[in-house]
Amino acid sequence: MNIKKTSLYATASAAALALTLTACSGSGSGGSASGGSWDKNATVNIGSLYEPQNLDNTAGGGQGVTEALNGNVYEGLFKLTDDGKVDKLLATDHKVSADGLTYTFTLRDGVKFHSGKQLTSDDVKYSLEKVIADDSQSARKSNLEVIKDIATPDAHTVKVTLSQRSISFVYNLSYVWIINSQAQNLKTTEDGTGPYRLDKWTRGSALSLNRFAGYWGDAARNQKAVFHYYKDATALNNALLTNAVDVVTSEQSPDSLDQFKNNQNYKVNDGNSTTKLLLAFNDKAKPFTDVRVRQAVSAAIDDKKLLESVWGGYGKLIGSMVPPTDPWYEDLTEVNAHDPARAKKLLAEAGYAKGFDFTLDTPNYDPHPTAATFIKSELAKVGITVTINTITPDEWYTKVYKNHDFTATLQEHVNDRDLVWYGNPDFYWGYDNKQVTQWVRQAEEAGSAAEQTELLKKVNRKTAEDAASDWLYLYPQIVVADSKLSGYPLNGLNSQFYAYDIKKKG
Amino acid sequence: MTGTDALEPARPKNAARAGRRVRGTATLVVGCVLAGAIALLALVSLFWLPFPADDTSGGRLTGPGEGHLLGTDKLGRDLFTQVMTGSRIAVEAGLGSVLIAAVIGVTLGVLAAFAQGWLDDTLSAFLDILIAFPTLLLAMLIVAARSATLGSAVLAIGLAQSAVVARLARILVKRVLAQDYITAARTSGTSWPRTVLGHVLPNIWPTLVVNLALQFGLAVLAEAGLSYLGLGAPPPNASWGRMLQEAQATFTTAPAGALAPGILLVLLVIGVNLIADGLRDTLDPATRRRRT
Amino acid sequence: MARYLLRRLVFLVVSLALASVVLFVLLRLLPGDPANALTSVGASPEQIAAARHAIGSDKPLPEQFTHWLGQLASGDLGTSFVSSLPVGPEVSARLDVTVPLTLAAFVLAVLIAVPAGFVAAHKRHTWYGALLSGVSQLGIAIPVFWLGMIFIAVFALNAGWLPAGGFPQDGWSAPADAIRSLVLPVVTIALVMSASLIRYVRSATLDVLGSDYLRTARALGSSFGGAMWRHGLRNASVPVISVLGIELASTLLGAVVVESVYALPGLGSMLATGIAQHDYPVIQGVLFVSTLAVLLIGFAADLVQRIIDPRLRGRLSGGAR
Repeated sequence: MNIKKTSLYATASAAALALTLTACSGSGSGGSASGGSWDKNATVNIGSLYEPQNLDNTAGGGQGVTEALNGNVYEGLFKLTDDGKVDKLLATDHKVSADGLTYTFTLRDGVKFHSGKQLTSDDVKYSLEKVIADDSQSARKSNLEVIKDIATPDAHTVKVTLSQRSISFVYNLSYVWIINSQAQNLKTTEDGTGPYRLDKWTRGSALSLNRFAGYWGDAARNQKAVFHYYKDATALNNALLTNAVDVVTSEQSPDSLDQFKNNQNYKVNDGNSTTKLLLAFNDKAKPFTDVRVRQAVSAAIDDKKLLESVWGGYGKLIGSMVPPTDPWYEDLTEVNAHDPARAKKLLAEAGYAKGFDFTLDTPNYDPHPTAATFIKSELAKVGITVTINTITPDEWYTKVYKNHDFTATLQEHVNDRDLVWYGNPDFYWGYDNKQVTQWVRQAEEAGSAAEQTELLKKVNRKTAEDAASDWLYLYPQIVVADSKLSGYPLNGLNSQFYAYDIKKKG
Repeated sequence: MTGTDALEPARPKNAARAGRRVRGTATLVVGCVLAGAIALLALVSLFWLPFPADDTSGGRLTGPGEGHLLGTDKLGRDLFTQVMTGSRIAVEAGLGSVLIAAVIGVTLGVLAAFAQGWLDDTLSAFLDILIAFPTLLLAMLIVAARSATLGSAVLAIGLAQSAVVARLARILVKRVLAQDYITAARTSGTSWPRTVLGHVLPNIWPTLVVNLALQFGLAVLAEAGLSYLGLGAPPPNASWGRMLQEAQATFTTAPAGALAPGILLVLLVIGVNLIADGLRDTLDPATRRRRT
Repeated sequence: MARYLLRRLVFLVVSLALASVVLFVLLRLLPGDPANALTSVGASPEQIAAARHAIGSDKPLPEQFTHWLGQLASGDLGTSFVSSLPVGPEVSARLDVTVPLTLAAFVLAVLIAVPAGFVAAHKRHTWYGALLSGVSQLGIAIPVFWLGMIFIAVFALNAGWLPAGGFPQDGWSAPADAIRSLVLPVVTIALVMSASLIRYVRSATLDVLGSDYLRTARALGSSFGGAMWRHGLRNASVPVISVLGIELASTLLGAVVVESVYALPGLGSMLATGIAQHDYPVIQGVLFVSTLAVLLIGFAADLVQRIIDPRLRGRLSGGAR
């Protein structure tokens, strides 16, 4: 058994978007663009490590339910494309009032649920209310609590009033599934409007989707998409090697890549990821209250070498919380770059010329233990002694996340646009800078995307200079597929995996 | 992993006793050589290693060759170094588990043997359930409670094995207690602690030692299984089970890492089992006076 | 016999009741909060409290326990904290993998071990008798997961004869695929299990071979085969059956490792996930069903022994005691 990998579903509470209003479907997702004939009735077998807990994303379905159902079975008013743009989907138009508080959405005509019912504004109202309901476990709940009122003037129009401006409102709506308001048993069945309907979910094993004949848009390019679930990366790669699956949504280690790279039956795709590995200091605990100590630790660790040993050539250094796919990205690797001499100097200035000891709470699954071992040997060079304390994901939540009872910890943060957590002084890492908090709030209430981007760039630079945390590296996002396949998503933003454009050669 | 070897029926009669003795000694010697070699490796690892344990300078998966006897792992650590530290963890796991099993098992077994009627029935039924309950499940629960460390794994294995040892001890003690001279001693008022120390333990220890040797091998296997599942010594400790789990992804491209720890593991367990067999043949009173 | 059966049944029920109490109490002693698995980063204290309330882990323990017992009595194994789906149907779906896996491995192991063990004993002075003993020594020492790794590398990845893991989504309605995916796991378990069984069978046979009644029977003119069949087999099988019972039970529960190596959606992997997520209803449900199975197997082994060996009648529990 592998202790289940618990990633952080950090959510972007303030996030802007370069709203690019292109046509809704058919915007090119990636994949090897091999031409030629393809089988319209193909079955595409997808291998994944993330099985849904249940099928309801407001009842703890988890990362897996997003991967399998988002965009495939359920659709939102908007969708996040594989290259990070927000497109219209079930909404054909939206207007924002001058004060930025009222959004009026026009719904697409002729959209049918899988059960046959026509989509109306009541369904949209129901779906939004489901996300912000008291018992909702949606990761987006707190983002959408700005909703004050939802009105349905007619069957095609939804009018949402916010209690305060929220520039990321439309972006956040791309996570809200529009569900038939009459649907029952959503934990094991579905009633969405997507290009596939659920065929069968066999727990512990697989989830299959069939093309929906009554789909309003372009039909799926394959007849059937089956998600096969595995508990560890080796079993998953073996499945790909023995043709049990055609594509792996996200490789979690570079170990098996050599077998695929040197084999023309497979294609290894290196996409953009949003997952960052953090050495998170408790900025409210000594000695990390002192900005010079945080800078010293950041400068003492050779991130490049770490990335090389964990990912062997894949991945990227970013030097901040912001991945290149976020609009406010800037290359900040030069801020607190690797420089042991400077680290020693900073330590001396802070009064720790002889170094100090600290305990590093390390989640017990890869890559954390490896990174911890590496950090320990790097910091020993500047006189800092690290004690590695290995903990389970469950302990991490209780000890670190809830009780803030730690000095430093390692954790992966998977979501895009999650820089804004540095504006929340109560977050687990305890970074408390009034200016940053204000910038983050202003950014969320900004009038334009440009203004928002400007403010968040300032936040990014400030947190990087303050070494609020040490951002070790950005994970690679590697999709390995049979070379007969094309049209699969490459970036897997926020764990989604659109299957409908995948073509399989006959 | 339950170690039902405990109750293997004793072997044939006096006829071939001398031959058994000789074969027993030969078995013992082979066993000692195998297990001894690995124990030596573990011992040496305390004082000397080819490379520092966390030295990652060797390059990724270099394969056996100059400098690195078995090559390196994916992080560039020397495999032979890891195999050596792994042997230490294996020996520690075996010794620790057997110690726990011996102390708890013998105590419980003696108590159960002195108990009578329904108490005896309940205790042995309880032991039966515990024996059927695999080490692994117990370990998972203990690990969930105490987090994954070598200590948790050893504790779990030791507890599970103590049920096996207890059941064996109970039978052996009952057999001794049924002897006329013990009955005589007890009716004449010898206190039961004195009975245990003076008569029971001296009679049962050879069989127990043989069984504990078998338990050692099983404990080593169990620890490897737990580490394979991520429930043993946490990384970066190089437990053999964990090494095998990590090398699984590169089995076909870099087989050294997936073979070396496995082969050593097998050799150690065979060695210890041979020692147990040899001891049984030379030591076990059951082979001398069977079914008294 | 009827009285024995009755006593044995009462004993079964009492054990099960005891086991469920122990199970419940032990689990609740574990540190950790099941609500952790339900909440994500950004969850407010109110959301966490709501999660706790939703799964009932905020209620006092006795209330949770009686609630669970009430469910059990009505044949309901409860609802998972994490997925909020019922545990019972999932357990039975998982049994579709675990039960055939265990039984097939068990039968295969017996088919290998009984003849091999007999030959190893009867022909112990020949080279193949010695070889069999040697191979069984090796088999005991091989970790089951390592054998699985090697099998996958050889038979699935290199030769491409069999799947490397997984179980067909359609399960037994695709019988050919289902069987193919169980071949390697079954052989893996059976080989390791038969190694230790061979040793028992060998010892039991040696015991019988050296026994007085066999000598007597042969002195009275029975052929070796006839004497073995009439007296030997019966006597040798008694200790072996109790070992078999224990082996079967521990394989059923111990399939976790093999299920992990071969990525099989069985009971073991369900339990492993349950433990990782502190999903008490899942852990309780799986362990309750497993304990029931272990007790029933022990019961069956006792009965069989008693039928074979009348000398055991009158004792509560037979076999290797």
